[in-house]
Amino acid sequence: MAKTLIDNNPLVDVAAFLFLEDIADKQGEAGMNNYLMSLAASLAKSMPEEEYATWDDFLIALKNRESSLSVYEDVITPTDYCIVTTICPYWRGIAEYRRRIGELAPQHYNVAEYYNNTIKPGALDTSCVIHQTFRKFATERIRVAGKRIRYAQLSNVSQDGRHKRAPEEWLPILLEKAQISLTKLNMLQRSNACIWILYPDTT
Amino acid sequence: MLDVALISLIQDMSEKAGIEGTIQYWSRVGENLAKRMGKEAYMGWPSFNVALREGRTAYSIEGEVNPLTDLAITDEDGDVVGYIYALKTCVFQPTIRRVMDSVGEMPSADREVAQEYNDSVRDTAVCNFCVIHQKFREEVAKSITVGGHVLECIQLADRGVTGETKINVEALNKIGINPDYIRSLLRNFACVYGLLLRDAHINPMKIEEE
Repeated sequence: MAKTLIDNNPLVDVAAFLFLEDIADKQGEAGMNNYLMSLAASLAKSMPEEEYATWDDFLIALKNRESSLSVYEDVITPTDYCIVTTICPYWRGIAEYRRRIGELAPQHYNVAEYYNNTIKPGALDTSCVIHQTFRKFATERIRVAGKRIRYAQLSNVSQDGRHKRAPEEWLPILLEKAQISLTKLNMLQRSNACIWILYPDTT
Repeated sequence: MLDVALISLIQDMSEKAGIEGTIQYWSRVGENLAKRMGKEAYMGWPSFNVALREGRTAYSIEGEVNPLTDLAITDEDGDVVGYIYALKTCVFQPTIRRVMDSVGEMPSADREVAQEYNDSVRDTAVCNFCVIHQKFREEVAKSITVGGHVLECIQLADRGVTGETKINVEALNKIGINPDYIRSLLRNFACVYGLLLRDAHINPMKIEEE
């Protein structure tokens, strides 16, 4: 089992969100979106590459928080390819922000909307932009049985109850890859923060 | 996770904006955070210290802060005009540990920013985040009144993750506290600061030359 990383401190979380708002004020939504994406890419690239002999080995590492993809979050795996984050790693930071500062500034939602319109639909706020970009770049550094793997976002739920699901036209394909039904997805959404997919790259 | 991601960009930021630019940027982050916390007023030191213990002041965002009521700061007339406060765990320690565990050693810019701050602003930083934190505390103090008087925060001492310590002897002399008292506090606390009435008249400690 990987070492349990110490909880973050509210000052760092809240200061980081205000730091991002400062960037959004100066560079606009597009600039902030680029900044968040490069932030996430830079973090992923600074982490060691990974290789696993089998998909089962990889799933064990994921569940034990030994992979870069799960080092900041607890995940469960209802199927071999469906990964579920039980609590969003940004949950505490956003809760502390709301408690100590007030409502989350609109830039966090506006930038997510920009990301959804220009990159891919899947973000509820700025933390999703960082998180999903991180997953994409971290996935590129992992090999299972010598092959690359791929990541796709299925659904996520925010603290305030908002949902963001993959577009309707993508859903059947993604559910098939995840090996879950739409009903199962709805059930998972009830008590988890984020549902995503990892699968072997067969191309 | 966001905190670890930001650390991965410190190097990039200091290369693009320069070390001085990073210090200015971090100072602004600390200032902005403090300004967003709102104003506070207390009848006197007992009510402020109780509020601090119960996590009702803006300083509660730092974590476990202990008012050391045995270390009062007094003015020329012997009246209490402030106290020494000690933070149990540095707010950035979890982040730094998380970086060391999941990424590796801290980027070299961390030390460079701290060193530049020590050379150009005040010799009290043990890592680059001290810039944010110390500025935050100074600005929060300006938003708090005790008995109708605005507070001032003075950074006194801190201990980094690697064990490096900084003791602000000049500031300690100014408020008449023996640096040796503070040195011993660092065994059990990560950061020590003083909060006092900004308009207080204090007798500096007389240091006898050997």
